[in-house]
Amino acid sequence: MKKSLVYIDPENVQNSIEILEVVAQIHQEEDFKSYGALINNSTSIQGLHQFDYIINIQNQNLKNYDPVAVTDVMEQLNKKYNFDSIIIPATHFGRMLAPRLAMRLHVGLVADVTKINHNGENLELVRPAFSGRIMAGIITEARKPIMLSVRQNVFAYDVQADKEAEVIDYQPENFKQGEIELLNIQENNISYDIRESEILVSGGGGTLKNFDQIKLLADKLNAEVSASRKIIDNGKADRNIQVGQSGKTVSPDLYIALGISGAIEHVAGLKNIDNIIAVNINKSAPICSLSDIVVEGDALEFVKKLSDKIDENEDQKN
Amino acid sequence: MKIICLVKYVPNVEDIKYDYEENVLIRDNVKLILNPDDAAAVAYSLKAKEVNPDLSIEVLTMGPKSVRPFVEDLLRRNVNKATIISDPAFAGSDTYATSKILASYLKEKEYDCILTGSKSLDGDTAHVPAQLGELLSLNQMSNIISIDQDSFNEKSAIIEVESGDKTLTYRMSFPAILSFRKETGYELPYIKYENMSLDVSDKLNFISNEELQLDEDMIGLKGSLTRVANTYNKNFKEKNKIVVKNDDQGIDYVYSFLKKKGFV
Repeated sequence: MKKSLVYIDPENVQNSIEILEVVAQIHQEEDFKSYGALINNSTSIQGLHQFDYIINIQNQNLKNYDPVAVTDVMEQLNKKYNFDSIIIPATHFGRMLAPRLAMRLHVGLVADVTKINHNGENLELVRPAFSGRIMAGIITEARKPIMLSVRQNVFAYDVQADKEAEVIDYQPENFKQGEIELLNIQENNISYDIRESEILVSGGGGTLKNFDQIKLLADKLNAEVSASRKIIDNGKADRNIQVGQSGKTVSPDLYIALGISGAIEHVAGLKNIDNIIAVNINKSAPICSLSDIVVEGDALEFVKKLSDKIDENEDQKN
Repeated sequence: MKIICLVKYVPNVEDIKYDYEENVLIRDNVKLILNPDDAAAVAYSLKAKEVNPDLSIEVLTMGPKSVRPFVEDLLRRNVNKATIISDPAFAGSDTYATSKILASYLKEKEYDCILTGSKSLDGDTAHVPAQLGELLSLNQMSNIISIDQDSFNEKSAIIEVESGDKTLTYRMSFPAILSFRKETGYELPYIKYENMSLDVSDKLNFISNEELQLDEDMIGLKGSLTRVANTYNKNFKEKNKIVVKNDDQGIDYVYSFLKKKGFV
Protein backbone atom coordinates (compact mmCIF):
# COMPACT_ATOMS: atom_id res chain seq x y z
CA MET A 1 0.00 0.00 0.00
CA LYS A 2 1.41 3.38 -1.07
CA LYS A 3 0.82 6.43 1.07
CA SER A 4 0.71 9.99 -0.15
CA LEU A 5 0.68 13.10 2.04
CA VAL A 6 -0.82 16.35 0.80
CA TYR A 7 -0.21 19.57 2.71
CA ILE A 8 -3.50 21.45 2.85
CA ASP A 9 -2.89 25.17 2.58
CA PRO A 10 -5.47 26.83 4.83
CA GLU A 11 -5.43 29.78 2.42
CA ASN A 12 -6.61 27.63 -0.47
CA VAL A 13 -8.27 24.40 0.55
CA GLN A 14 -9.82 23.79 -2.87
CA ASN A 15 -6.43 23.65 -4.57
CA SER A 16 -5.28 21.04 -2.11
CA ILE A 17 -8.23 18.85 -3.06
CA GLU A 18 -7.27 19.15 -6.72
CA ILE A 19 -3.89 17.69 -5.78
CA LEU A 20 -5.68 14.36 -5.30
CA GLU A 21 -5.63 14.14 -9.10
CA VAL A 22 -1.82 14.41 -8.92
CA VAL A 23 -1.69 11.67 -6.29
CA ALA A 24 -3.78 9.44 -8.55
CA GLN A 25 -1.60 10.15 -11.58
CA ILE A 26 1.61 9.44 -9.70
CA HIS A 27 0.54 6.16 -8.14
CA GLN A 28 -1.76 5.03 -10.96
CA GLU A 29 -2.89 1.42 -10.56
CA GLU A 30 -0.96 0.87 -7.36
CA ASP A 31 -3.02 0.66 -4.19
CA PHE A 32 -2.69 3.98 -2.42
CA LYS A 33 -4.17 6.03 0.37
CA SER A 34 -4.22 9.81 0.46
CA TYR A 35 -3.54 11.74 3.66
CA GLY A 36 -4.25 15.45 4.04
CA ALA A 37 -2.32 17.39 6.70
CA LEU A 38 -4.45 20.18 8.11
CA ILE A 39 -3.01 22.57 10.68
CA ASN A 40 -5.18 24.70 12.98
CA ASN A 41 -8.04 24.86 10.54
CA SER A 42 -10.55 22.23 11.64
CA THR A 43 -13.47 24.22 10.21
CA SER A 44 -12.29 23.08 6.77
CA ILE A 45 -12.64 19.36 7.52
CA GLN A 46 -16.18 19.36 6.14
CA GLY A 47 -14.91 20.14 2.66
CA LEU A 48 -12.12 17.59 2.68
CA HIS A 49 -13.90 14.26 2.50
CA GLN A 50 -12.28 13.37 -0.80
CA PHE A 51 -9.15 12.37 1.11
CA ASP A 52 -8.85 8.92 2.68
CA TYR A 53 -7.47 10.39 5.89
CA ILE A 54 -7.31 13.89 7.31
CA ILE A 55 -4.54 14.39 9.82
CA ASN A 56 -6.03 17.09 11.99
CA ILE A 57 -3.43 19.06 13.92
CA GLN A 58 -4.65 21.52 16.51
CA ASN A 59 -1.99 23.23 18.56
CA GLN A 60 -2.13 26.82 19.69
CA ASN A 61 1.64 27.18 19.81
CA LEU A 62 1.97 26.09 16.21
CA LYS A 63 1.73 28.95 13.74
CA ASN A 64 0.65 27.64 10.37
CA TYR A 65 2.46 30.55 8.70
CA ASP A 66 5.85 29.60 10.20
CA PRO A 67 7.77 27.40 7.73
CA VAL A 68 10.30 26.33 10.35
CA ALA A 69 7.67 24.93 12.73
CA VAL A 70 5.54 23.39 9.98
CA THR A 71 8.62 21.65 8.51
CA ASP A 72 9.24 20.03 11.92
CA VAL A 73 5.65 18.79 12.08
CA MET A 74 5.69 17.46 8.50
CA GLU A 75 8.93 15.62 9.24
CA GLN A 76 7.31 14.00 12.27
CA LEU A 77 4.36 12.90 10.16
CA ASN A 78 6.69 11.40 7.61
CA LYS A 79 8.54 9.50 10.31
CA LYS A 80 5.29 8.11 11.62
CA TYR A 81 3.70 7.12 8.29
CA ASN A 82 6.70 6.67 5.98
CA PHE A 83 5.07 8.30 2.97
CA ASP A 84 5.84 7.37 -0.62
CA SER A 85 5.04 10.85 -1.87
CA ILE A 86 4.60 14.28 -0.33
CA ILE A 87 2.83 16.86 -2.42
CA ILE A 88 2.52 20.52 -1.61
CA PRO A 89 0.45 23.17 -3.42
CA ALA A 90 2.67 25.88 -4.91
CA THR A 91 1.06 28.66 -2.91
CA HIS A 92 3.09 31.43 -1.27
CA PHE A 93 3.51 29.32 1.86
CA GLY A 94 3.80 25.98 0.05
CA ARG A 95 6.68 27.30 -2.00
CA MET A 96 8.59 28.09 1.21
CA LEU A 97 7.66 24.85 2.96
CA ALA A 98 8.42 22.38 0.16
CA PRO A 99 12.14 23.19 -0.38
CA ARG A 100 12.81 23.26 3.35
CA LEU A 101 11.13 19.90 3.90
CA ALA A 102 12.88 18.34 0.89
CA MET A 103 16.24 19.41 2.28
CA ARG A 104 15.29 18.04 5.72
CA LEU A 105 14.33 14.68 4.20
CA HIS A 106 17.34 14.68 1.83
CA VAL A 107 15.20 14.21 -1.25
CA GLY A 108 15.00 16.02 -4.56
CA LEU A 109 12.15 18.41 -5.19
CA VAL A 110 10.41 19.46 -8.37
CA ALA A 111 8.63 22.82 -8.16
CA ASP A 112 5.43 23.98 -9.84
CA VAL A 113 4.59 20.73 -11.56
CA THR A 114 1.99 21.05 -14.31
CA LYS A 115 2.05 17.52 -15.78
CA ILE A 116 2.95 13.95 -14.77
CA ASN A 117 4.57 11.58 -17.28
CA HIS A 118 5.43 7.94 -16.78
CA ASN A 119 8.27 7.05 -19.12
CA GLY A 120 8.82 3.37 -18.54
CA GLU A 121 10.18 3.06 -15.01
CA ASN A 122 10.78 6.76 -14.67
CA LEU A 123 8.41 9.25 -13.18
CA GLU A 124 8.93 12.46 -15.10
CA LEU A 125 7.56 15.65 -13.57
CA VAL A 126 7.00 18.45 -16.03
CA ARG A 127 7.31 22.11 -15.05
CA PRO A 128 7.71 25.46 -16.77
CA ALA A 129 11.22 26.94 -17.00
CA PHE A 130 12.64 30.20 -18.38
CA SER A 131 9.54 32.02 -17.12
CA GLY A 132 7.28 29.60 -18.93
CA ARG A 133 9.00 29.75 -22.29
CA ILE A 134 9.80 26.06 -22.23
CA MET A 135 8.62 22.99 -20.31
CA ALA A 136 11.22 20.83 -18.58
CA GLY A 137 10.67 17.16 -17.71
CA ILE A 138 12.50 16.47 -14.44
CA ILE A 139 13.53 13.13 -13.03
CA THR A 140 14.52 12.83 -9.40
CA GLU A 141 16.97 10.48 -7.76
CA ALA A 142 15.11 7.40 -6.55
CA ARG A 143 14.66 8.31 -2.92
CA LYS A 144 11.64 8.23 -0.73
CA PRO A 145 9.39 10.16 -0.51
CA ILE A 146 8.88 11.63 -3.97
CA MET A 147 8.42 15.36 -3.39
CA LEU A 148 6.85 17.98 -5.58
CA SER A 149 4.98 21.22 -5.44
CA VAL A 150 2.05 21.60 -7.80
CA ARG A 151 1.07 24.70 -9.72
CA GLN A 152 -2.35 25.91 -8.69
CA ASN A 153 -5.39 25.63 -10.93
CA VAL A 154 -3.84 23.19 -13.39
CA PHE A 155 -5.13 19.78 -12.31
CA ALA A 156 -8.80 18.96 -11.91
CA TYR A 157 -10.07 16.17 -9.66
CA ASP A 158 -13.28 14.24 -10.30
CA VAL A 159 -15.08 14.34 -7.02
CA GLN A 160 -16.27 10.95 -5.77
CA ALA A 161 -19.74 10.79 -4.29
CA ASP A 162 -20.29 9.47 -0.76
CA LYS A 163 -16.64 9.58 0.13
CA GLU A 164 -15.91 9.96 3.81
CA ALA A 165 -12.45 10.79 5.16
CA GLU A 166 -11.28 9.30 8.40
CA VAL A 167 -10.12 12.10 10.70
CA ILE A 168 -6.99 11.38 12.70
CA ASP A 169 -6.23 13.83 15.48
CA TYR A 170 -2.51 14.33 15.78
CA GLN A 171 -0.53 16.18 18.43
CA PRO A 172 2.94 17.16 17.24
CA GLU A 173 5.85 16.61 19.57
CA ASN A 174 8.17 19.52 20.11
CA PHE A 175 8.80 21.81 17.18
CA LYS A 176 11.17 24.69 16.72
CA GLN A 177 9.56 28.08 16.38
CA GLY A 178 10.93 30.35 13.70
CA GLU A 179 10.53 33.61 15.62
CA ILE A 180 8.11 35.12 13.24
CA GLU A 181 5.00 37.01 14.20
CA LEU A 182 2.03 37.84 11.99
CA LEU A 183 1.04 41.44 12.73
CA ASN A 184 -1.58 42.21 10.13
CA ILE A 185 -3.57 40.77 7.24
CA GLN A 186 -4.92 43.09 4.61
CA GLU A 187 -7.23 41.86 1.90
CA ASN A 188 -6.28 43.35 -1.43
CA ASN A 189 -9.06 45.24 -3.07
CA ILE A 190 -9.84 42.88 -5.93
CA SER A 191 -13.05 41.09 -5.06
CA TYR A 192 -12.87 38.37 -7.73
CA ASP A 193 -10.46 35.63 -8.71
CA ILE A 194 -9.65 35.66 -12.44
CA ARG A 195 -9.03 31.90 -12.28
CA GLU A 196 -12.74 31.46 -11.60
CA SER A 197 -14.03 33.93 -14.20
CA GLU A 198 -16.29 32.75 -17.02
CA ILE A 199 -15.63 35.72 -19.26
CA LEU A 200 -12.45 37.79 -19.14
CA VAL A 201 -11.88 41.08 -20.85
CA SER A 202 -8.13 41.43 -20.73
CA GLY A 203 -6.00 44.48 -21.47
CA GLY A 204 -2.40 44.75 -22.60
CA GLY A 205 -0.01 47.41 -23.86
CA GLY A 206 -2.56 48.55 -26.43
CA THR A 207 -4.84 49.75 -23.63
CA LEU A 208 -2.12 51.45 -21.62
CA LYS A 209 -3.37 54.99 -22.22
CA ASN A 210 -6.72 54.23 -20.65
CA PHE A 211 -6.78 50.79 -19.11
CA ASP A 212 -9.79 51.55 -16.91
CA GLN A 213 -11.90 52.03 -20.03
CA ILE A 214 -11.93 48.30 -20.76
CA LYS A 215 -14.21 47.92 -17.76
CA LEU A 216 -16.91 49.48 -19.92
CA LEU A 217 -16.97 46.42 -22.15
CA ALA A 218 -16.49 44.01 -19.24
CA ASP A 219 -19.63 45.40 -17.58
CA LYS A 220 -21.70 44.93 -20.74
CA LEU A 221 -20.65 41.28 -20.94
CA ASN A 222 -20.93 40.57 -17.21
CA ALA A 223 -17.25 39.83 -17.49
CA GLU A 224 -14.29 40.46 -15.25
CA VAL A 225 -11.17 42.40 -16.07
CA SER A 226 -7.69 40.92 -16.30
CA ALA A 227 -4.42 42.27 -17.65
CA SER A 228 -1.06 41.42 -19.13
CA ARG A 229 2.23 42.08 -17.40
CA LYS A 230 2.78 45.35 -19.21
CA ILE A 231 -0.25 46.86 -17.49
CA ILE A 232 0.83 45.58 -14.08
CA ASP A 233 4.43 46.75 -14.48
CA ASN A 234 3.13 50.19 -15.38
CA GLY A 235 1.15 50.26 -12.17
CA LYS A 236 -2.21 50.48 -13.96
CA ALA A 237 -3.72 47.46 -12.21
CA ASP A 238 -3.24 45.16 -9.25
CA ARG A 239 -1.01 42.12 -9.72
CA ASN A 240 -3.89 39.85 -8.68
CA ILE A 241 -5.46 40.24 -12.09
CA GLN A 242 -2.35 39.43 -14.10
CA VAL A 243 -2.69 36.55 -16.53
CA GLY A 244 0.34 34.43 -17.29
CA GLN A 245 3.22 32.51 -15.95
CA SER A 246 4.25 34.81 -13.17
CA GLY A 247 0.60 35.62 -12.71
CA LYS A 248 -2.18 33.11 -13.05
CA THR A 249 -3.55 30.42 -15.32
CA VAL A 250 -7.07 31.22 -16.47
CA SER A 251 -9.68 29.16 -18.28
CA PRO A 252 -12.76 31.25 -19.00
CA ASP A 253 -15.27 30.33 -21.71
CA LEU A 254 -14.50 33.57 -23.52
CA TYR A 255 -11.29 35.57 -23.50
CA ILE A 256 -11.14 38.96 -25.17
CA ALA A 257 -7.52 40.03 -25.55
CA LEU A 258 -7.36 43.79 -26.04
CA GLY A 259 -4.05 45.14 -27.27
CA ILE A 260 -2.20 42.08 -25.96
CA SER A 261 0.55 40.88 -28.27
CA GLY A 262 0.82 37.52 -26.53
CA ALA A 263 4.25 37.14 -24.98
CA ILE A 264 4.74 33.48 -24.33
CA GLU A 265 4.22 33.71 -20.57
CA HIS A 266 0.87 35.33 -21.21
CA VAL A 267 -0.22 32.71 -23.69
CA ALA A 268 0.94 30.00 -21.32
CA GLY A 269 -1.53 31.36 -18.79
CA LEU A 270 -4.46 30.65 -21.11
CA LYS A 271 -5.71 27.13 -20.65
CA ASN A 272 -8.45 25.29 -22.54
CA ILE A 273 -10.19 28.43 -23.71
CA ASP A 274 -12.74 27.67 -26.41
CA ASN A 275 -13.36 31.22 -27.53
CA ILE A 276 -10.67 33.84 -27.97
CA ILE A 277 -11.13 37.21 -29.62
CA ALA A 278 -7.97 39.26 -30.15
CA VAL A 279 -7.99 42.95 -30.92
CA ASN A 280 -4.65 44.25 -32.10
CA ILE A 281 -3.24 46.78 -34.51
CA ASN A 282 -0.92 44.03 -35.67
CA LYS A 283 -2.91 41.11 -37.05
CA SER A 284 0.23 38.95 -36.94
CA ALA A 285 0.77 39.41 -33.19
CA PRO A 286 1.49 36.00 -31.61
CA ILE A 287 -1.85 35.86 -29.80
CA CYS A 288 -3.70 36.09 -33.13
CA SER A 289 -2.73 32.56 -34.18
CA LEU A 290 -4.62 31.25 -31.14
CA SER A 291 -7.75 33.32 -31.73
CA ASP A 292 -11.10 32.60 -33.34
CA ILE A 293 -11.54 36.19 -34.39
CA VAL A 294 -8.85 38.78 -34.91
CA VAL A 295 -10.01 42.37 -35.03
CA GLU A 296 -7.38 44.49 -36.68
CA GLY A 297 -7.43 47.89 -35.03
CA ASP A 298 -7.15 49.99 -31.90
CA ALA A 299 -8.25 48.14 -28.76
CA LEU A 300 -9.82 51.08 -26.95
CA GLU A 301 -11.77 52.09 -30.04
CA PHE A 302 -13.06 48.51 -30.24
CA VAL A 303 -14.16 48.67 -26.60
CA LYS A 304 -16.26 51.73 -27.36
CA LYS A 305 -17.74 50.35 -30.58
CA LEU A 306 -18.65 46.91 -29.27
CA SER A 307 -20.10 48.40 -26.06
CA ASP A 308 -22.29 50.71 -28.17
CA LYS A 309 -23.37 47.79 -30.32
CA ILE A 310 -24.40 45.78 -27.27
CA ASP A 311 -26.31 48.81 -25.93
CA GLU A 312 -28.15 49.28 -29.21
CA ASN A 313 -29.33 45.69 -29.24
CA GLU A 314 -30.32 45.81 -25.57
CA ASP A 315 -32.43 48.91 -26.35
CA GLN A 316 -34.16 47.18 -29.21
CA LYS A 317 -35.11 44.32 -26.92
CA ASN A 318 -36.70 46.63 -24.35
CA MET B 1 25.13 45.74 11.09
CA LYS B 2 26.07 43.33 8.33
CA ILE B 3 23.96 42.21 5.39
CA ILE B 4 24.84 39.51 2.91
CA CYS B 5 23.08 39.89 -0.44
CA LEU B 6 22.78 36.61 -2.28
CA VAL B 7 22.38 37.17 -6.02
CA LYS B 8 22.39 35.25 -9.27
CA TYR B 9 23.21 36.31 -12.81
CA VAL B 10 20.69 34.87 -15.25
CA PRO B 11 19.99 34.95 -18.97
CA ASN B 12 17.47 37.69 -19.64
CA VAL B 13 14.46 35.61 -20.58
CA GLU B 14 12.80 38.74 -21.98
CA ASP B 15 15.22 38.36 -24.88
CA ILE B 16 14.03 34.83 -25.55
CA LYS B 17 11.35 34.89 -28.23
CA TYR B 18 8.98 32.19 -29.30
CA ASP B 19 8.19 31.15 -32.83
CA TYR B 20 4.56 30.07 -32.69
CA GLU B 21 4.58 28.69 -36.21
CA GLU B 22 7.54 26.38 -35.61
CA ASN B 23 6.98 25.98 -31.86
CA VAL B 24 10.60 26.67 -30.98
CA LEU B 25 12.46 29.03 -28.67
CA ILE B 26 14.69 31.62 -30.27
CA ARG B 27 17.62 32.13 -27.93
CA ASP B 28 19.80 34.39 -30.05
CA ASN B 29 21.23 37.54 -28.47
CA VAL B 30 20.26 36.61 -24.95
CA LYS B 31 22.20 38.72 -22.42
CA LEU B 32 23.19 38.00 -18.84
CA ILE B 33 21.52 40.22 -16.23
CA LEU B 34 21.30 40.50 -12.46
CA ASN B 35 18.18 38.53 -11.53
CA PRO B 36 15.50 41.24 -10.99
CA ASP B 37 14.28 39.99 -7.60
CA ASP B 38 17.90 39.89 -6.38
CA ALA B 39 18.52 43.40 -7.72
CA ALA B 40 15.71 44.62 -5.47
CA ALA B 41 17.51 43.06 -2.47
CA VAL B 42 20.78 44.85 -3.31
CA ALA B 43 18.91 48.09 -3.98
CA TYR B 44 17.20 47.91 -0.59
CA SER B 45 20.52 47.22 1.14
CA LEU B 46 22.13 50.23 -0.50
CA LYS B 47 19.21 52.38 0.56
CA ALA B 48 19.51 51.14 4.14
CA LYS B 49 23.22 51.95 4.01
CA GLU B 50 22.45 55.55 3.09
CA VAL B 51 20.52 55.89 6.32
CA ASN B 52 23.03 53.88 8.33
CA PRO B 53 26.55 54.32 6.90
CA ASP B 54 27.95 51.76 9.36
CA LEU B 55 26.01 49.06 7.62
CA SER B 56 28.22 46.68 5.69
CA ILE B 57 27.07 44.86 2.54
CA GLU B 58 28.63 41.76 1.09
CA VAL B 59 27.35 40.49 -2.25
CA LEU B 60 27.60 36.73 -2.71
CA THR B 61 27.07 34.96 -5.99
CA MET B 62 27.83 31.59 -7.50
CA GLY B 63 28.50 31.16 -11.18
CA PRO B 64 31.16 31.29 -13.86
CA LYS B 65 34.10 33.67 -13.42
CA SER B 66 32.72 35.68 -16.33
CA VAL B 67 30.22 37.39 -14.00
CA ARG B 68 33.14 39.40 -12.59
CA PRO B 69 32.46 42.68 -14.47
CA PHE B 70 28.83 42.64 -13.33
CA VAL B 71 29.86 42.11 -9.73
CA GLU B 72 32.46 44.88 -10.00
CA ASP B 73 29.69 47.25 -11.01
CA LEU B 74 27.91 46.48 -7.75
CA LEU B 75 31.12 47.24 -5.84
CA ARG B 76 31.23 50.60 -7.65
CA ARG B 77 27.80 51.31 -6.19
CA ASN B 78 28.96 51.28 -2.58
CA VAL B 79 28.75 47.56 -1.85
CA ASN B 80 31.59 46.83 0.61
CA LYS B 81 32.68 43.41 -0.49
CA ALA B 82 31.83 40.76 -3.05
CA THR B 83 32.44 37.04 -3.18
CA ILE B 84 32.15 34.92 -6.29
CA ILE B 85 31.91 31.19 -5.66
CA SER B 86 33.16 29.61 -8.83
CA ASP B 87 34.58 26.23 -9.67
CA PRO B 88 34.09 24.01 -12.73
CA ALA B 89 33.36 21.24 -10.22
CA PHE B 90 30.17 23.06 -9.22
CA ALA B 91 28.78 23.14 -12.76
CA GLY B 92 25.52 21.28 -13.21
CA SER B 93 24.51 21.61 -9.56
CA ASP B 94 20.75 21.58 -9.02
CA THR B 95 19.13 23.66 -6.28
CA TYR B 96 19.85 20.98 -3.67
CA ALA B 97 23.60 20.91 -4.41
CA THR B 98 23.74 24.69 -4.89
CA SER B 99 22.19 25.28 -1.48
CA LYS B 100 24.79 23.02 0.12
CA ILE B 101 27.66 24.84 -1.58
CA LEU B 102 26.35 28.27 -0.57
CA ALA B 103 25.63 27.07 2.98
CA SER B 104 29.17 25.76 3.40
CA TYR B 105 30.46 29.30 2.73
CA LEU B 106 27.79 31.08 4.77
CA LYS B 107 28.02 28.93 7.88
CA GLU B 108 31.47 30.37 8.58
CA LYS B 109 30.26 33.96 8.27
CA GLU B 110 28.72 36.41 10.65
CA TYR B 111 25.77 38.50 9.52
CA ASP B 112 22.50 39.92 10.75
CA CYS B 113 20.47 38.93 7.75
CA ILE B 114 20.69 37.54 4.24
CA LEU B 115 18.75 39.50 1.64
CA THR B 116 17.98 37.86 -1.68
CA GLY B 117 15.29 37.46 -4.33
CA SER B 118 12.22 35.24 -4.15
CA LYS B 119 12.89 33.42 -7.40
CA SER B 120 15.15 33.50 -10.41
CA LEU B 121 14.03 34.24 -13.94
CA ASP B 122 15.61 31.11 -15.39
CA GLY B 123 14.97 28.23 -12.98
CA ASP B 124 12.06 29.89 -11.20
CA THR B 125 11.95 27.22 -8.48
CA ALA B 126 12.48 29.54 -5.46
CA HIS B 127 14.21 26.63 -3.73
CA VAL B 128 17.58 28.07 -2.78
CA PRO B 129 16.55 30.71 -0.20
CA ALA B 130 14.31 28.25 1.66
CA GLN B 131 16.87 25.43 1.50
CA LEU B 132 19.59 27.73 2.80
CA GLY B 133 17.22 28.55 5.63
CA GLU B 134 17.01 24.87 6.45
CA LEU B 135 20.77 24.30 6.23
CA LEU B 136 21.64 27.38 8.29
CA SER B 137 18.73 26.94 10.74
CA LEU B 138 17.28 30.32 9.85
CA ASN B 139 13.77 31.40 9.10
CA GLN B 140 13.10 32.62 5.60
CA MET B 141 10.32 34.64 4.01
CA SER B 142 9.53 35.00 0.30
CA ASN B 143 7.58 37.57 -1.72
CA ILE B 144 8.60 40.59 0.35
CA ILE B 145 7.34 43.79 -1.22
CA SER B 146 8.57 46.21 1.42
CA ILE B 147 10.59 46.48 4.61
CA ASP B 148 9.73 49.17 7.09
CA GLN B 149 12.97 51.16 7.18
CA ASP B 150 12.53 52.39 10.76
CA SER B 151 12.06 48.86 12.06
CA PHE B 152 15.10 47.44 10.29
CA ASN B 153 17.86 46.80 12.85
CA GLU B 154 20.17 44.06 14.17
CA LYS B 155 17.34 42.37 16.02
CA SER B 156 14.41 42.24 13.60
CA ALA B 157 12.44 43.88 10.82
CA ILE B 158 8.81 44.47 9.96
CA ILE B 159 8.09 43.28 6.45
CA GLU B 160 5.18 43.28 4.04
CA VAL B 161 4.58 40.18 1.98
CA GLU B 162 2.26 39.52 -0.91
CA SER B 163 0.43 36.23 -0.58
CA GLY B 164 -2.24 35.52 -3.14
CA ASP B 165 -4.94 38.11 -2.63
CA LYS B 166 -3.62 39.35 0.69
CA THR B 167 -0.84 41.56 1.97
CA LEU B 168 0.62 40.15 5.17
CA THR B 169 2.71 42.07 7.69
CA TYR B 170 5.20 40.12 9.78
CA ARG B 171 7.88 40.85 12.32
CA MET B 172 10.85 38.57 11.71
CA SER B 173 13.66 38.14 14.21
CA PHE B 174 17.23 38.10 12.94
CA PRO B 175 19.27 36.39 11.74
CA ALA B 176 16.91 35.44 8.92
CA ILE B 177 16.72 35.21 5.15
CA LEU B 178 14.51 37.79 3.48
CA SER B 179 13.53 37.22 -0.15
CA PHE B 180 12.32 40.21 -2.15
CA ARG B 181 10.18 40.52 -5.20
CA LYS B 182 11.19 42.89 -7.93
CA GLU B 183 7.97 44.85 -7.47
CA THR B 184 9.34 46.50 -4.32
CA GLY B 185 10.15 49.68 -6.21
CA TYR B 186 13.71 49.61 -4.82
CA GLU B 187 15.99 50.25 -7.76
CA LEU B 188 19.74 50.07 -8.09
CA PRO B 189 21.30 53.53 -8.17
CA TYR B 190 23.47 54.56 -11.10
CA ILE B 191 27.21 54.31 -10.68
CA LYS B 192 28.60 57.73 -9.89
CA TYR B 193 30.55 59.15 -12.81
CA GLU B 194 33.81 59.36 -10.88
CA ASN B 195 33.48 55.69 -9.90
CA MET B 196 32.84 54.32 -13.38
CA SER B 197 36.29 52.81 -13.75
CA LEU B 198 37.16 52.56 -10.07
CA ASP B 199 39.51 49.70 -9.32
CA VAL B 200 37.59 47.47 -6.92
CA SER B 201 39.68 44.32 -7.18
CA ASP B 202 40.74 44.55 -3.51
CA LYS B 203 37.09 44.11 -2.50
CA LEU B 204 36.49 41.12 -4.73
CA ASN B 205 37.11 37.63 -3.56
CA PHE B 206 36.95 34.32 -5.46
CA ILE B 207 36.16 31.09 -3.65
CA SER B 208 36.57 27.67 -5.22
CA ASN B 209 36.22 24.18 -3.88
CA GLU B 210 39.83 24.35 -2.75
CA GLU B 211 38.63 26.60 0.06
CA LEU B 212 35.24 24.95 0.63
CA GLN B 213 36.54 21.37 0.48
CA LEU B 214 33.21 19.77 -0.36
CA ASP B 215 33.15 16.11 -1.17
CA GLU B 216 32.71 15.59 -4.91
CA ASP B 217 29.64 13.46 -4.28
CA MET B 218 27.93 16.54 -2.84
CA ILE B 219 28.44 18.92 -5.73
CA GLY B 220 27.81 19.31 -9.44
CA LEU B 221 25.81 16.70 -11.30
CA LYS B 222 26.87 14.00 -8.85
CA GLY B 223 25.51 15.87 -5.87
CA SER B 224 22.25 16.75 -7.59
CA LEU B 225 19.03 14.88 -6.85
CA THR B 226 17.12 16.18 -9.85
CA ARG B 227 18.00 16.31 -13.50
CA VAL B 228 16.32 17.60 -16.62
CA ALA B 229 15.45 14.54 -18.69
CA ASN B 230 13.52 16.24 -21.47
CA THR B 231 12.55 19.67 -22.61
CA TYR B 232 9.33 20.30 -24.41
CA ASN B 233 8.31 23.22 -26.50
CA LYS B 234 4.82 24.34 -25.80
CA ASN B 235 2.66 23.25 -28.64
CA PHE B 236 0.02 25.84 -28.99
CA LYS B 237 -3.09 24.87 -30.83
CA GLU B 238 -3.48 27.12 -33.81
CA LYS B 239 -7.00 28.11 -34.77
CA ASN B 240 -8.62 28.96 -38.05
CA LYS B 241 -8.81 32.61 -37.25
CA ILE B 242 -11.06 35.04 -39.06
CA VAL B 243 -9.55 38.50 -39.45
CA VAL B 244 -11.93 41.46 -39.48
CA LYS B 245 -11.48 45.23 -39.42
CA ASN B 246 -12.43 47.47 -36.57
CA ASP B 247 -15.39 48.86 -38.52
CA ASP B 248 -19.17 48.34 -38.51
CA GLN B 249 -18.90 45.12 -40.44
CA GLY B 250 -16.20 43.79 -38.11
CA ILE B 251 -18.13 44.77 -34.97
CA ASP B 252 -21.25 43.11 -36.45
CA TYR B 253 -19.25 39.94 -36.96
CA VAL B 254 -17.96 39.97 -33.39
CA TYR B 255 -21.41 40.71 -32.06
CA SER B 256 -23.06 37.84 -33.91
CA PHE B 257 -20.27 35.51 -32.75
CA LEU B 258 -20.97 36.51 -29.14
CA LYS B 259 -24.70 36.13 -29.71
CA LYS B 260 -24.36 32.70 -31.33
CA LYS B 261 -22.27 31.52 -28.37
CA GLY B 262 -24.69 33.00 -25.85
CA PHE B 263 -22.36 35.62 -24.37
CA VAL B 264 -24.77 38.50 -25.05
